[in-house]
Amino acid sequence: MVAELPRPKASGFNFAPAKPVAGPVSAPPALPVQHGIIVTEQLDFSYGQRQALNDISFTAPEHAVTAFIGPSGCGKSTLLRCFNRLNDRIPGARITAGSVRIMGKNIHDPDVDLISLRRQVGMIFQKYNPFPKSIFENVVYPLRIGGVTKRSELDEACERALRAAALWDDVKDRLKASAFGLSGGQMQRLCIARAVAVQPRILLMDEPCSALDPIATLRIEELIHTLKQTYTVIIVTHNMQQARRVADQVAFFYMGRLIESGTMEQIFFNPVEDHTQRYVQGQFS
Amino acid sequence: MNPFTRTTARHRRDPFLIQGMRAAAWIILCITAAIFLHIIWKGAPVVFSKGGGDFLTKLPETLHVIQDKEGNIYEANPVEADAIKEKLGPGLRQEKTISYSGGGILGPIVGTVLLVIGSITVALILGIGSAIYLSEYAKKGKFIEALRLAILNLAGVPSVVFGLFGVGVFVLAAPRFTDFPLDRAIFSIPLGFTYLSFEGWNTSVLSGACTLAFVILPVIITASEECLRAVPQGFRETSLALGATRWQTIRRCVLPFAMPGILTSSVLGIARAAGETAPIMFTAAIAYKDKLPWNTEAGWWGTFTESVQALPYHIYTLAARIPQNEYSSRAQYGSVFVFLVIVMSLAMSSILLRRKLRSKYQW
Repeated sequence: MVAELPRPKASGFNFAPAKPVAGPVSAPPALPVQHGIIVTEQLDFSYGQRQALNDISFTAPEHAVTAFIGPSGCGKSTLLRCFNRLNDRIPGARITAGSVRIMGKNIHDPDVDLISLRRQVGMIFQKYNPFPKSIFENVVYPLRIGGVTKRSELDEACERALRAAALWDDVKDRLKASAFGLSGGQMQRLCIARAVAVQPRILLMDEPCSALDPIATLRIEELIHTLKQTYTVIIVTHNMQQARRVADQVAFFYMGRLIESGTMEQIFFNPVEDHTQRYVQGQFS
Repeated sequence: MNPFTRTTARHRRDPFLIQGMRAAAWIILCITAAIFLHIIWKGAPVVFSKGGGDFLTKLPETLHVIQDKEGNIYEANPVEADAIKEKLGPGLRQEKTISYSGGGILGPIVGTVLLVIGSITVALILGIGSAIYLSEYAKKGKFIEALRLAILNLAGVPSVVFGLFGVGVFVLAAPRFTDFPLDRAIFSIPLGFTYLSFEGWNTSVLSGACTLAFVILPVIITASEECLRAVPQGFRETSLALGATRWQTIRRCVLPFAMPGILTSSVLGIARAAGETAPIMFTAAIAYKDKLPWNTEAGWWGTFTESVQALPYHIYTLAARIPQNEYSSRAQYGSVFVFLVIVMSLAMSSILLRRKLRSKYQW
């Protein structure tokens, strides 16, 4: 039932206008492309007795946007939260079979440090959730917990992250103001800035626009186009138009199974599976 | 023809019920106001009249009331009384002494403040610690449920039982360093240069503060746990997803936002700790002491190791242990008034602190 994912394209289709990246781009060493940056192999996952993911074999290419689509409760978010092991904190939740490899390393190996994994794999949540602190403190939070205390370093990282999240011009004059004074879209971009402040390799986005208005949504989508040049982006979305606008790769999930994955064109215009066809055409949800 | 006429008796009962409930609320208000106004009316003049400063800055003394044969009445402290008696000589008709009614109540004020500060410190450290464990770290299970039940039960234990517990544990059995262990010590461990002797801390501020801490602990743990739970889960997940450790998450993203609520609960704790009499009458308080705890031979260390007078116990002594007359009421009303003011100002400062913190951390 699992469609073989095509090889990540070298340049391929590029829907995003090639914008210059705002922040300094430290080009990470290229991974062996055929492996992808995230690879899951026959992954089974359960919440206690309830099996949430079934035999997921999936590969996400580097420097591309992969969209997870599918009806509610199909396991998209669960899979996303497997990638930074955020499910670890849910009692009874565990991987029952298979493995998740990120940058070639099985992230459930005992020698994997959760802290450093999560610094490499950032996450943006559905509901924008800045801390009740100043804008500056929000952005530098991951640096502070990493032990950075030098003011110049914090300032620099703050500006870099805010520029990368296209928020710098909006807030540069009020970094000390509470983050709660921002609009919803700005708050979500602040959360993105906070996530990229430690320069992860991967950004996981769990329906990042579902709480935003259409204008703010468009700005986030533009931002995602920019971000994918520096980061690998995995985005969960319920919005078919959004998936078509931002994604290079699309994976369709249904009832805890990966039904089909491929390039955006393949999934939307030429799907192999009947289920996929009906879902992307909005015939069931 | 009115289609909306009253049809049932229920409608006619309603106003009575409402008035009844209104009356209940007003009765409570009236009783509270009566208590407060009575105490303020009788007590405030003691503190705010001429010489009222003495009431706050002097230790309790025995009041001597001397009457001479011409009918003049002198109120004096023990030293002045001797001088007056000498001067009057055979002109003395009678002398009455009223215990604790002269001087001031500095001793009890100091004692109560020390006990409250000590107990709230111990209770917050233990309480917040265990609340963090219960709400953030502990896995759900039978043991944790039993622990919660035990904490709730602790809240129902009568305070005199806490007092006896304090005697048994802190007064008679707690460990202390001493070069000369007492014979009654449960056991003592020789450390070479000194002994660690389990002989207790005697009746002292430390014993009393620890005992009071256990009295208020259930309130503080339960309330702190609720406050920690009230902090949105999203903060924790976000912080963890950003690569924070669990402790960093708690330290930076949970505790600061729970603190206003925890301080509110400590208000209740403060009022309770200041007001309890039974737990301290065996462990810390004595009826009369002519020195402040840090002025004894123990030095400043005596702040922790000396027994003290405490306001609630002092009020009990004044009310029940000395004969009542027109000379004793000054100390009685004055003490109650000062006690009320202290408890209210402690509570008020906690509320102000909470307001300040809450405006800083609003979500």
